[in-house]
Amino acid sequence: MADNVLSITNQNTRGYRVILVFAFLVPLFFLLDLLVGSYYIPISEILKAIFRSDSANHQVVLIINQFRIPKAVTAILSGAALSVAGLQMQTVFRNPLAGPYILGVSSGASLGVALLVLGTGGLLGGSLISVAGSWGIVAAAWLGSGLILLLIVIISARIKDIMTILILGILISSAISSVVNILQYFSNESMLKSFVVWTMGSLGSVTNVQLAVLFPSVLTGILMAFLSSKFLDAFLLGENYARSMGMNIVFARMVVFLSTAILAGSITAFCGPIGFIGIAVPHIARMTLRTAKHSLLVPGTILIGALMMLVSDILSQLPGSEATLPVNSVTALLGIPIVIWIIIRNKNTARL
Amino acid sequence: MKSDQQDKIIDLSNASIGYLGKSKAHKIIKSAISVYALKGELVAVIGENGIGKSTLLRTIAGFQPYVEGDFRICGKLISTYREKELALLMSFVSTEIIKVSNLSVFDLVSLGRYPYTNWFGKLLDEDHYLIEEAISAVGLQGYEYRMVNHLSDGERQKVMIARSLAQNTEIIVLDEPTAFLDLSNKYEIVHILHQLASEKEKTILFSTHDLTTAIAESDRLWLMLEDSVEQGAPEDLILNGNFDAIFHSKHLYFDREKGDFRIRKLTKKVAHVHGEGIAMDWTIKALSRNGFEVVNLTDPADITIIVNYQEWTVIHLTKQIKFNSLLSLCRYLNSLER
Repeated sequence: MADNVLSITNQNTRGYRVILVFAFLVPLFFLLDLLVGSYYIPISEILKAIFRSDSANHQVVLIINQFRIPKAVTAILSGAALSVAGLQMQTVFRNPLAGPYILGVSSGASLGVALLVLGTGGLLGGSLISVAGSWGIVAAAWLGSGLILLLIVIISARIKDIMTILILGILISSAISSVVNILQYFSNESMLKSFVVWTMGSLGSVTNVQLAVLFPSVLTGILMAFLSSKFLDAFLLGENYARSMGMNIVFARMVVFLSTAILAGSITAFCGPIGFIGIAVPHIARMTLRTAKHSLLVPGTILIGALMMLVSDILSQLPGSEATLPVNSVTALLGIPIVIWIIIRNKNTARL
Repeated sequence: MKSDQQDKIIDLSNASIGYLGKSKAHKIIKSAISVYALKGELVAVIGENGIGKSTLLRTIAGFQPYVEGDFRICGKLISTYREKELALLMSFVSTEIIKVSNLSVFDLVSLGRYPYTNWFGKLLDEDHYLIEEAISAVGLQGYEYRMVNHLSDGERQKVMIARSLAQNTEIIVLDEPTAFLDLSNKYEIVHILHQLASEKEKTILFSTHDLTTAIAESDRLWLMLEDSVEQGAPEDLILNGNFDAIFHSKHLYFDREKGDFRIRKLTKKVAHVHGEGIAMDWTIKALSRNGFEVVNLTDPADITIIVNYQEWTVIHLTKQIKFNSLLSLCRYLNSLER
């Protein structure tokens, strides 16, 4: 008996060790992310600005506090949120290609933003955008994804088969995307550009005030993911098994969908749709932690997701140059090779 | 007999299964089902494809509601159970092969403790003990930290049975647990089920197409026929001729002596066979496969075959030819027909 308990601990130590390594890497890359930017600031100045701001250069403190820290924190939040959301969707749908946007949350957000930017912009002229400001975009995106969430909740309470829900989610997303396309088609050039820029994703536009909203939203979603890790374990075997083990399927689905929608919806609202992290990171977590238990995978994906976004952000700064790349392209270019490598190395990724 | 009523762990009387439709437009798959299972019995559900075996098992497992009748689990109507209560009484094994990567045998079996563990699924000492016990019961000690997707299909099905054992329920329902397995694994799985039923006093219900194992190991069969559902010991159902009605095919008949179905051959020719022992038996089988009926030596025959260890002599008309294998013998017999 004692022997068994010992070996069980051994089995999970790998998971805990890997988590520990990532827990160490995340703050390291957070600091690295503060280092890079269009204006060079040496690390000693940065540390001084953070810990002894009164003795530091006023301008440096401003850059660090108003720009670089919010951006790095946003990177951590968005990486963690999208990865956990992706993990939840892959498990619930038992589909390795599912991601945080599979339910149509991001297309809902795009519709909200498109209606605001392209619709009202077209009617009232460009000035409205600056009046509505970034909060307007956030509100529109949230409203759009919230509406989709409501639709999904209604569908998932009525429809038993999870595959049907997946297909409906994809269909709804496509339908909404075509509405967005129509809006784009009829809008003028400057409106179109500001919308397209939004779809490319950006971590830098989130202000400290907005972080005060984004942070608790992401925290709520992540907390719900932690609370649903037992549900997620049962979902691994499919819904029949889950039900036979006494799980209330509809309730469990609601918790998971709600958490996913909050996570993916908030990030999309503040940063635009950021692709690929949510699909790639859960696979990296499973491979490195070598476990399917969600009590380990949830913290694992949070850390790996945060790390991946920090790396993406650092790379998007194009060190040594003043230009920045759209973060969406960087995450894709970073994520895709990783997934290709995983797929080739491990033939079993076709299954979760 | 007196305690039968209480011991009826699963009890269906005049029940109908199928799908509930709106305003009584139900789609009934099978009606007037009156069968039961006692404590500690291994019950095999047998019937043709599409006759409703899966629907019946899914209804008993609580995945879909029954349409009409009296459908009781441990004396209580199944519709009055909540999901959690049912999970403490009954566990389920599906025909689907679970392929999740990075999931260890221990972790999969530990999911059986789902109804007992706290919100986060924390395993206590008792849970660890029951999980280990379940893994040993299916003979997989030492496999705890293997990944399930690296196991063979037979081993994986044993893991799924261990998971249902860890759930520690009075009833285990298995939907075609041996469907994807090879012959030796089929026997082993059904044998394990038999042992669990008799030693751990569990009521185990499984559907299968494999009559030989079902007849050899089950205590009771539920025979799903076109118009009725019959139950009884396998031998009873063989003796009273119910087995003949399972398949609606004129090409199949039930061999009551062998306890299995045979393909009906149109015999065209008759043969005499001289010889003894096992070589003789297999020669007769080979002949019947090739359309020869073996008759008594007193009756007339087209052909005579003498079996002598590994040598066969055919006397046909005036010719006499020797063969050293049944294969070449059969080839010769077939050439005669043309």
